[in-house]
Amino acid sequence: MTANTIGQNQSSLRLTTLKVLETLALLLIIAFIVLPILWLAITAIKPQEKAYSTTLIFSPTLENFEIIFSDTSVIINKGTDRERGEVGRNMFPSVLNSIVVSGATILIAIPLATLAAYAFSRYSFLGNSVLLVWILTTQFIPAIVVAIPFFTLFRTIEVFGKPLLGTQLGLIIVNMSIVLPYAIWMIKGFVDALPGEIEEAAFVDGCNDFQILFFISLPLIRPGVLVASVFAFIMSWNEFLFALIIGREMRTMQVALMTTSGARGIMWEQMAAAGLVVMIPIFFLAMFIRKNVVDGLTMGAVK
Amino acid sequence: MRKKRWVPWVLVGPALLVIVLTTIYPLLAALYFSFHKYNLRRPPQFAIQIGENGIHIDWSLLSLNNYTLAFSDSRFINSLQVTFWFTVISVALSVIIGLFIAVVVQKGGRLHTLTKVLLIFPFAVSPALKGYSWRFMLNENYGIYDLLIDQLIVRPINALLSIINALPIVEIPLISESIVWLGDKFWALFMLAMSETWGWAPLIALMFVGALGSIDEQIFEAARIDGANRLQIFFRVTLPLLRPVILIVTMLKTIFSLKMFDQVVTMTGGGPVRATQTINYYIHQIGFVRSLDIGYASAMSYILVVVLTICAALYVSLVLNRD
Repeated sequence: MTANTIGQNQSSLRLTTLKVLETLALLLIIAFIVLPILWLAITAIKPQEKAYSTTLIFSPTLENFEIIFSDTSVIINKGTDRERGEVGRNMFPSVLNSIVVSGATILIAIPLATLAAYAFSRYSFLGNSVLLVWILTTQFIPAIVVAIPFFTLFRTIEVFGKPLLGTQLGLIIVNMSIVLPYAIWMIKGFVDALPGEIEEAAFVDGCNDFQILFFISLPLIRPGVLVASVFAFIMSWNEFLFALIIGREMRTMQVALMTTSGARGIMWEQMAAAGLVVMIPIFFLAMFIRKNVVDGLTMGAVK
Repeated sequence: MRKKRWVPWVLVGPALLVIVLTTIYPLLAALYFSFHKYNLRRPPQFAIQIGENGIHIDWSLLSLNNYTLAFSDSRFINSLQVTFWFTVISVALSVIIGLFIAVVVQKGGRLHTLTKVLLIFPFAVSPALKGYSWRFMLNENYGIYDLLIDQLIVRPINALLSIINALPIVEIPLISESIVWLGDKFWALFMLAMSETWGWAPLIALMFVGALGSIDEQIFEAARIDGANRLQIFFRVTLPLLRPVILIVTMLKTIFSLKMFDQVVTMTGGGPVRATQTINYYIHQIGFVRSLDIGYASAMSYILVVVLTICAALYVSLVLNRD
């Protein structure tokens, strides 16, 4: 063997080692990311007597989903060998609450955000860049500071004879404080990316500002508006602090997760099932806007 | 191009109004509350009174008591410390692990691409659910993490230690296999930070992947031709080029960590013995669960506002000065 081939063998050995190390690192990363989600999914379909162990040998069941969507009395009467204690509330109303609150939040926030984003992108007006940065900084206000005054305010404001505290409407209003700024920044990014020539041409052809906005620009940025809507929906769906303090007994799904704990502590198999219900729709939505999540979270600061 | 001055204001107006009402109003109201004695159990007496004779201000009702109380309240000081350490640990782990993931997944290959797709997964898991799932997995009796940590980390280390101990030189105590992760003051805070890291490191990795992709490949090529090895390229080329992005991401994550609340409720409940009671959690306890002291809760949250304002100023200047 010549010195040359030995050298080659050594470097190819080093390359293989590197490849193996890299693959190991990738597998480790995958395990790190997937394990909590996978374990939640597994626990959700475990029969109750197997949920409190790390065993992987069990016959899958949908019982836990049945339980979280049935009333308390039914659960106790179901009578397994283990006493279940006082647990569970039908989670169906909470699913509805989450859908209504998140849905209404984007129905209000997205049109407002779209108009504002368009103006910030296309017009230069007094203080527009300062305003834009100010909107960004509102996201650094701790949510608890927003929650305290709205809690005391909503205790006293009555709508249809009921205080706003603990209602869907109350939570929708407070959600605006987190959703609107993100939506403006996100949609502005999409408007910025749209070449201005088309609008110029429409202007030359005699369209006024609003005709250009509604008939030319809006149809073109529709995909971006959709992405921002999904992002905003996820934000308000996953929101917890406002839901806890302002939403209270109305209970969105995030807060309803807490009701799986009873006298005997948390019923993990029910928690896991409820967790899957909370997570799965968001999972698909997140995949749909995968490429835009980073832009959304950082408001375009990291490109 | 278009000259009508009022048009942008019509478009921006509604959104601006809503933002002002939902952020500026509470900021001012909380500041006002913080100077008052205001408990939910009693009707509050405010300094500004609007009566028949117009507006009257009763200065005697205003005081800085809530603020002075905060700095003599050992639980508040504790919450500052907890928040500080939570932030330091979670930011450091998120950024370092995020950077590691980004560098590993950045190149082509099927497994790389698959991992890149998976990075979005934790974003779909709400922080509240994250807290519960980690609490479940860390359970000392049936938690999968507890099992894996014992089998894959503690046992091998202990095996190594017993070999060393067999030599008559030193005696190193073995690591306990029965640590109750959320029952131990240090580990509870650490695991809380780990759950935060699980949610954020993959997202931060995505941010770095974008930044890495925009670096000209020729720079790395040149370094390779000059004979630099992988580690040298990482520390001498990649890191300096990523520096602006790393700073921005670190600042952003610091802000998010300072605001963290959800997992404390669902994972540790502030315990054991207040070891994971962050500022947000303590404010929530004071204002809404225990003493219902809105005045004191407002004052404490204003101290947090000051800290976050400084962070926000730093963040904005980093972002604006980048280009």
